[in-house]
Amino acid sequence: MIKDISRSWKSGESKTITFIVTKDCQLACKYCYLVGKNESERMTWDVAKKAIDYILSHEHKFEEEAVIFDFIGGEPFLEIDLIDRICDYLKTEMFRLNHHWFNSYRFSFSTNGINYHTEKIQRFIKKNRNHVSIGITIDGTKKKHDLNRIWKGVGQEIGSYDDVVRNIPLWLSQFPNASTKVTISSADIPYIFESVIHLYKLGIKEIHINCVFENVWKPNDDLLFETQLIQLADYIIDNDLYIDNSCSFFDENIGKKMSKSDNKNWCGSGKMIAIDATGNFYPCTRFAQYSLRDKSARIIGNADTGINDNLLRPFIALNRAVQSPRECVECEVASGCAWCQGENYDAADTPTIYQRATAICKMHKARVRANNYYWNKLFRKLELENKREEYNALHKQSTDTPC
Amino acid sequence: MLYINNQPIPLADAMLKYLIIPLAKNAVSFCHYDRPACDTQLIDFDTLKKAIVWAMKENLNIQFLYPDEPIPESYKDLIDSVDHISIISSTCEDKQLTENADVIVFDTWASINYYPFNKEKSYIIRTAKEDFADNARLLDTILPKLDRLVVLLTNPHEFSPEDFDRYERTLDTLIPAVVTEYKVGHYIHFNLLTDRIFLNEMNNCNAGHESITLAPDGQFYACPAFYLDGSKSLGNIDDGIAIKNPQLYRLDHAPICSICDAYQCRRCVWLNQKTTLEINTPSHEQCVIAHIERNASKKLLETIQKHVGPITQIEIKPVDYSDPLDSLINM
Repeated sequence: MIKDISRSWKSGESKTITFIVTKDCQLACKYCYLVGKNESERMTWDVAKKAIDYILSHEHKFEEEAVIFDFIGGEPFLEIDLIDRICDYLKTEMFRLNHHWFNSYRFSFSTNGINYHTEKIQRFIKKNRNHVSIGITIDGTKKKHDLNRIWKGVGQEIGSYDDVVRNIPLWLSQFPNASTKVTISSADIPYIFESVIHLYKLGIKEIHINCVFENVWKPNDDLLFETQLIQLADYIIDNDLYIDNSCSFFDENIGKKMSKSDNKNWCGSGKMIAIDATGNFYPCTRFAQYSLRDKSARIIGNADTGINDNLLRPFIALNRAVQSPRECVECEVASGCAWCQGENYDAADTPTIYQRATAICKMHKARVRANNYYWNKLFRKLELENKREEYNALHKQSTDTPC
Repeated sequence: MLYINNQPIPLADAMLKYLIIPLAKNAVSFCHYDRPACDTQLIDFDTLKKAIVWAMKENLNIQFLYPDEPIPESYKDLIDSVDHISIISSTCEDKQLTENADVIVFDTWASINYYPFNKEKSYIIRTAKEDFADNARLLDTILPKLDRLVVLLTNPHEFSPEDFDRYERTLDTLIPAVVTEYKVGHYIHFNLLTDRIFLNEMNNCNAGHESITLAPDGQFYACPAFYLDGSKSLGNIDDGIAIKNPQLYRLDHAPICSICDAYQCRRCVWLNQKTTLEINTPSHEQCVIAHIERNASKKLLETIQKHVGPITQIEIKPVDYSDPLDSLINM
């Protein structure tokens, strides 16, 4: 009746291990948090193998039921030969070692989609058919997409929309339930409504969309953002798009006061591990040097010596209250207000992960207002159509606390 | 003036109680950190004067750390103009200063059992883990001669699982000597075994929260160790203290420590920074060492209660972990 945002594969039960196979990309997106992209830092096979050998031979340190081997860049598919070799080796080694992850693994990719149709990538997808998930990033309309996602190089800015959109039908034919990730920065706000609707029309039914965590917001961005979301809410509800589509901006569980007992950290950094071309391990990719503007990389080990458990302790001990200013702890609409641990670290006054960045505050509050409007309007419509009870039965937990 | 998030905070609200002044770069270490052997840079006289006046105005207790080399008489006169604690190495060349010191620090066990201890002073023994295990039995003869002894490990971050076992065994061997003293009414304070039996809340170093260091370079640091390892300063004597993220020095912003009951732990923020890269997060080694001491204190308390009688209302309960992070994860 209402399409929910789906949880990721084995969410909460899996370890995410990220290979930063290259720091190069064909694009130079204006909002990209990777400030240190370059063409020289490409992972070698020796480094990848050493990291895999360490991880698979230390099963007691990686007790999660399942694993997601995540490949990122830059643009990961620039290194498809290396990725193919890594995945083959992972499969054979997990089998040889009778590792508990064998048959409980997934290869995950976030790609700009430009090379998606190429023979090598298509061959890789077929070879690993049941163990692959791929997200292609497309930001919405051509205008919105080309505003930020431009080709690398000097001279006139050239957008990448046409090079990506041509691969969407192939992608959706192979992954019908695929979702896309949309990132909103200040300049993108006027295009949110038309972009989400455009993506639905392309056949992408699930859209994960979020505002950047960096301090980029201008005066009145929140009001403009709210207006866009209200417009989007009206369109989705008036056209019954909520039945088959979802947009992560609208979530029944956000915008509520959080109980003191719900003190978990939002971010999963430290529960995952990222490996770069030098073989260094990080709590997530956002702590590698190419992601950081003002701070030194936060290395937690390397493929030669393994993980230094002491360097992971601050991440394990981290909770919501200890890193949040009082206004966040006492906030009446705190639930769903996200943060990125790497951005917190990068923006902090000292080199700590224990200082929460709050640049997103006014955008979250605007989202909550629009979200309240969305659910009030949708529930009223369901009531008038005698469908509310059916909804409540399917969503009991979330409807216990009204908006 | 102390600044928190760019807002001036009166020191009374900031909980600052102690000002530590190393008089020279190679001034005696009274904690885990090592001092440089050769660098004798003395604090500037005018800086020292400003620091003393500032501490008097802010009602701070001053602790002076002396170098082994003699200091000018003018410095001594200035220091004597204010109530203070003197911390001096057992190898200090100025015997007059040593005689008047409040705290004497040993960096070696050599000849320690022949030292003329004085029950009016406190003593600190700084020792590597290996030397502690090898020399601990010397304490049997030392404990009757003094009232307050602090043993400080200089390399706690290097403990291995085998070292933990050895440390536990070593502390166990020291329990009878402490019990013997209590039996004769000599209620000695020996940090590793007796501190915990009189504590019902955390009693830690609290550098950066209750104490601050003014280094010979005229800059403020949380403690002398941060000065010596080249860390960024927390302000200077002319412009005042400016601690960013001051809450991270406090117990209530230390998620592991705030659920822990190894109340005697030093909770060394410098070791925290060095081993975990966070001021508020202790290493596994620091936690396990503190729990070995806690559990040895529990055994001592039970033995004293059996042979001497009740000496405290404090109860040390059994716990099933040696690192409170394990407890935190299961909460």
